[in-house]
Parts: sequence; C-alpha cells; structure tokens
Amino acid sequence: MPGDENLTRKMRRLIETVDIANLLTEPLTRSIRDILRVSAAELGAREASVLIRDGAEGDLRFLVATGEVASKLLDLKIPAGKGIAGFVMSSGQPMAVSDVEEEASFYAEVDRETGYSTQMILATPLRHNDEMIGVLEYINRPGDQPHQPFTPDEMDKAALFADAIASLVSAYESAKLFRDLGEKIVGTDEDMEIDSIRSWLEDLRSSAEHREMMDLAVLIREIASRGDAERVLCREVLESVLRFSDTRGDTSFLSL
Amino acid sequence: MTNVSKIEAGYSPDTETFFKIDEGWRSATGLGVSVAIVDSGIDTTHPDLTDKIVETVEARLDGKRVVFEPSDAGDSAGHGTACAGIVMSIAPGARIFSIKVLGAEGLGDGQAILAGLEYAINKRYQVINLSLGTTKPQFFAPLHDLLDRAYQAGCIVVAAANNLPQPSFPSVFSSSLISVVKSGETDPLNFGFHFGEVIELTAPGVNVRTAWPNGGYRNLTGNSFACPHIVGVIARLLERHADLTPFQVKSALYAIARQNRGQGTET
Repeated sequence: MPGDENLTRKMRRLIETVDIANLLTEPLTRSIRDILRVSAAELGAREASVLIRDGAEGDLRFLVATGEVASKLLDLKIPAGKGIAGFVMSSGQPMAVSDVEEEASFYAEVDRETGYSTQMILATPLRHNDEMIGVLEYINRPGDQPHQPFTPDEMDKAALFADAIASLVSAYESAKLFRDLGEKIVGTDEDMEIDSIRSWLEDLRSSAEHREMMDLAVLIREIASRGDAERVLCREVLESVLRFSDTRGDTSFLSL
Repeated sequence: MTNVSKIEAGYSPDTETFFKIDEGWRSATGLGVSVAIVDSGIDTTHPDLTDKIVETVEARLDGKRVVFEPSDAGDSAGHGTACAGIVMSIAPGARIFSIKVLGAEGLGDGQAILAGLEYAINKRYQVINLSLGTTKPQFFAPLHDLLDRAYQAGCIVVAAANNLPQPSFPSVFSSSLISVVKSGETDPLNFGFHFGEVIELTAPGVNVRTAWPNGGYRNLTGNSFACPHIVGVIARLLERHADLTPFQVKSALYAIARQNRGQGTET
C-alpha cells in the first residue's frame, strides 16, 4: 500500500518509467509531423497524415495529421480493410486515386466527420522489419482546381518518406508500449486501492523530487542528442557517479 | 540449336520470325476463360460487371484453417472492383471469380493471400490476378511452393510489383509467374517486356479509369492496376489457344511486346 516503503519505491520507478516513455513519444510525433509537412510540400500535396495499426484486427487510427482538420482526424478510426487506407494496409500495395468524389464511399464518411473535402489521395504502406505498421497518406493539391493527379514519380518519393516515417512510428510504438504496460500495471492490480494509488501518484507527480527526476531525464536526452562524443562522455560521467555512490558507504577516499 | 541460342534468338531484330504470333488475340474477348481476382471482393452490381461475375467467395477463419464460403459482402475497399473492371475492359467475355481475402476478420494478411491463391489453384482457374503482395519473409517459401503448384497445374498467376524499397513476394519470383509494373502508356493493349529485369512486364497503370463500388468510376494509379491489363490480354490469348502453358503464355507476351516496340508504340 502507499504507506509501504518498498511498494512506494516500486511505484515511483514505475511512474518514472511511464513518464520517460511519455517524454519520448511527444518528440517522436513532432518529428513525424515535421516530415509530413516537408514531404507534403515536396510532393505538392495539401495535407498529409499517418495512420497506425489499432488492435490485433488490423484497424487503423490516425496518429499524426497536418492541416486544419488534423485534430478531428485524430479521433477517427478506420475498420480493417475498409477504404483506400484499409486496402493499402492489408494488401501492402500503394495506390493513388485522383477523383474521390463525394458519394457513398468511405472517405465521404470521414469527410462528413471532419467537414473536409477529399478529392485526391496517395496512400503508401508503412513497413518496419517486414511488418505492416500503418499507412502514409497525402491528400489533395493546394490551390484551386483542376489539379494534376499524383504522379508515379511522386508515388516513388512517398515510398522513400514512408521508410523514414516507419522508423519513427516504430520507435513511438515501443515507447507507447512501455507507457501502456506501466499504466496497465497501475490500473489492474486488484490488491491496490486504485483511487488512493492514483491520488498518491498525483501527489508524487507534483512533488519537487519527481520534477527533478524529469528534469534530469530531459537533460540526459538533450545531451545524448548533441552527438556521439557527448553521449559517451555523459555515460562515463554517470557511471562514475554510480560507482562513487556504490562505494561511498563503506570506503574512504583515503584508502584508494 | 541450343537453348541458349534460342533465347538469344529472341533478342534478334527478326524475332517475329522465331515466334509466329496469331493476331486473332487482338479481336478476341477472352470468351469463356476463367479469371480469378484474389482481392478485396467485387461489387457485382456495378453496371460494367453485371452478369460477368460467376462466383464470389470470402475467406473465413475456422479454427486455425481458412475456409471459403459464398459471400454477397461486395467490396469493402474498391480495389477488387477496380481490377475486375480493367479485366472486363480488355476481355469482356471472360468469366470472373471473386475470391475475397482482404477485409476478412481475424485473418493475417499474408495468410489470407496464400489461402486465396491456393483456393484458386485448386479450382484450376485459368488466370489468377494477384494485385497484392507481402514483404514478410516467412511467406517466401510457402508462396514459392504454391506458385510452382500453379505452374504445374497450368494456372497462370499474374502479380503486381510494388514500388517500395523492400522486395515483395510473390512479384520478385520470375520463373513461375508473370509480374507487372505500371507504365504511363495509355493504350490498354500496349504493354512492354523487359527480359532480365526482376519485374518483366510493364502495362498501363497511371491514371487508369475503371469501375468503383456503387456504380462509380475512379482514375487510379498503381502497379495493382497494371496487373489486370496483362490478365485481360492473357484471357484473350487463352480464348484462341486454351491449351497454352504458363511458359508459352510468357513467351507469347514477350513476342507481342517486341512487336509493340517494333511499331514504336511501347514506352
């Protein structure tokens, strides 16, 4: 229980793990969004989005999207095999449609939900280690109609961008798995009084010590991102601190 | 003449004298030829496809086995309907069999494709359109085995390449099937053959206008839509010569593609 010192320590580690995973997912989605913006400009597309597998049945959900209806898209799911994205996900075949008219098609449903008007789509699979993990979509051209359809050359470029994005999506999913697992452990242990645990966790999150841990994690991440030399130095310094900490209790510096 | 010199003969400018083409295929319709579309299902109510679809079956997981049952679920994605529409535009006399493997609940993608292909081979459909693929290495050997079975059974499997950095199966197999990649060509009968390339056939696949569920039409781009062009041509060839083996069909496609190039129409 919360009062138990051992449990407290374990819970604290768990929460720190979850928070670090959270810290990792946010920059990853930001990087994906950056690539979407750059690649959409390169392909002459108005918007772009990334859909990822949601559950074991092959359903899809929007992970990142650009444009004015991006936030509405993030709530939407696409059932397995449905629509162009569903087909690309299950078949592994990229495709482009240059005239997605408003009729009883799947994209009409998405458009109704978001208030957007989808006219053209280029969809290509996201693969990581031979596994299908999602779909990359480019939607419409900027400016007034008529628009040129997406070209085979643009399709090839999209496949290259998909390769880079797939690596980031995979990293995101690993971090999210970590986070979900931690939250599941916290949320499903029957021996714990969930409400009191949650309130205790809230206190913990807002504590100065916890914030300090988070600052440290961010600092390390920042140093590691500066380059290989910085990462190696950081590791050596931290290991040195750890060794010092391990020996401090029973060894005097004088005897070294 | 050795085998090698026969192959070389295929490269010579006078290849048409080596392969004598029966030009009757150009006016054929694929009458009576059975064509399986292993895909997302087909909208059988589309005006272009009414009365052309002989049978529609759908994959279902029964324990650990995949079974196929009659289905009126139509097409959940539009892709199968689009492929059927292209085949019909070239070979309106063909008999289409829809084998729905995508969109079925609980089925792994590769597993469903393999099961659909095996079903089509067991049924001895003459031409099998496979505008699908997988990059999962665990399917390499089973797919190779299935395609050998198709070859020996005389079923002609036509697969779409993908344009991704990774190789996809089965389109990278070159001996036991016919693989197709898209070209910007607009004449539906004007395809190309590139001997020595991993994907040997090129066919129209850019902005192709074809059938779409709910009676509509779409302009589509992708290797998926090059594949059914070749399927349609093969259906025409088989109408004229029903006993052609997969090897002979490939040779005929090669000869016709050279003819196309000779006429300056192939891109």
